Amino acid sequence: MTRKLLMNLAAGLSLAIAATAVAGESAPPDAAQSASLAADAEDAASRDRFRALDQDVQSLKKEVLDLNRDLFLLEEELLFPANSQVAFFISMDVGEYFKLDSVRLTIDGKEVANYLYTDREAGSLLQGGVHRVHMANLKAGDHELVAIFTGQGPHSREYRRGATMNFSKGIGAKYVELEISDRVRKQQPEFVIKEWE
Amino acid sequence: MNIRSVLAGLAFSAFAASSLASSGLAGQPAPDFALKSSSGQNLRLSEYRGDVVMINFWATWCGPCRQEMPLLDELYSRYQRVGFNLLGVNIDDDSSRAMDMIDELGVSFPVLFDSSKEVSRLYRVDAMPVTIIVDREGNVRHVHQGYKPGYEQQYLDQVRSLLRE
Repeated sequence: MTRKLLMNLAAGLSLAIAATAVAGESAPPDAAQSASLAADAEDAASRDRFRALDQDVQSLKKEVLDLNRDLFLLEEELLFPANSQVAFFISMDVGEYFKLDSVRLTIDGKEVANYLYTDREAGSLLQGGVHRVHMANLKAGDHELVAIFTGQGPHSREYRRGATMNFSKGIGAKYVELEISDRVRKQQPEFVIKEWE
Repeated sequence: MNIRSVLAGLAFSAFAASSLASSGLAGQPAPDFALKSSSGQNLRLSEYRGDVVMINFWATWCGPCRQEMPLLDELYSRYQRVGFNLLGVNIDDDSSRAMDMIDELGVSFPVLFDSSKEVSRLYRVDAMPVTIIVDREGNVRHVHQGYKPGYEQQYLDQVRSLLRE
């Protein structure tokens, strides 16, 4: 009886030791796994937060750009109402006989613009670009435009030429183009002022 | 006593306002301009966007300018290849004097002529020389009025710091 009791106790003790050992072996991997899982989850959450923040910043930037554009357009509409608006553009065609340096515009005897062109800007004009050199508000009626072009003419000589145009401002916006082109037959540049319909 | 102190205060504020005229530009976008240069080309400030630009207003009658220009030229020669540009803006009525001085000092940076003083007014220049440092974004970051020996070290530190941005 006593022997049986002792055997039971020994078996119980060994089972308990085995159970403790098993528990002791399995506990550390569980804690490490859960810790690494938690760290991964935190990383993923912070990445998501960062991505969301980045998206917020991008959308805010876009909104600022949109707002800036709207303000610019609104400012133009307010400062230059379509009814009194006149815009002057410079364009170049070929440009073999003339290297543009500056353009001075006078409307009704008053200087309104004096623009110096850098090599890059003149190059852009030669590639087909059009530059809005001036925008103004003018009353309806007759006006006189004088444009003075300076630059280098044929054989790299200093060149200065004026072009005059009388134009009538009615209701609605007006666009005037000052075109510099080559007159091949005379081997001279030509300055033409024309109105856009 | 009170009136005297008020007057002194007013005089001081007027002096401070005038001496800070161009300093008020710090932190603001640098006003754009185009001027004829000593090489005959027209140069526009906005075409240097992306580079650190120093604008130095000077005149032939200004002693400190003469002292400062060779030091600025050294700075320009050293940092030009890493995105630094220097535009000297001469405000003399007669640009031929400026050309003579450039030849005499042997400066290599572009010198622009502002004989009509339009650009000087734009930058509220009321001392001589005035040195303005513009960052890569086109904003005025530092304004120096006048020149004293030692300023070149400040220029160097500021230019290097802006080049690193």
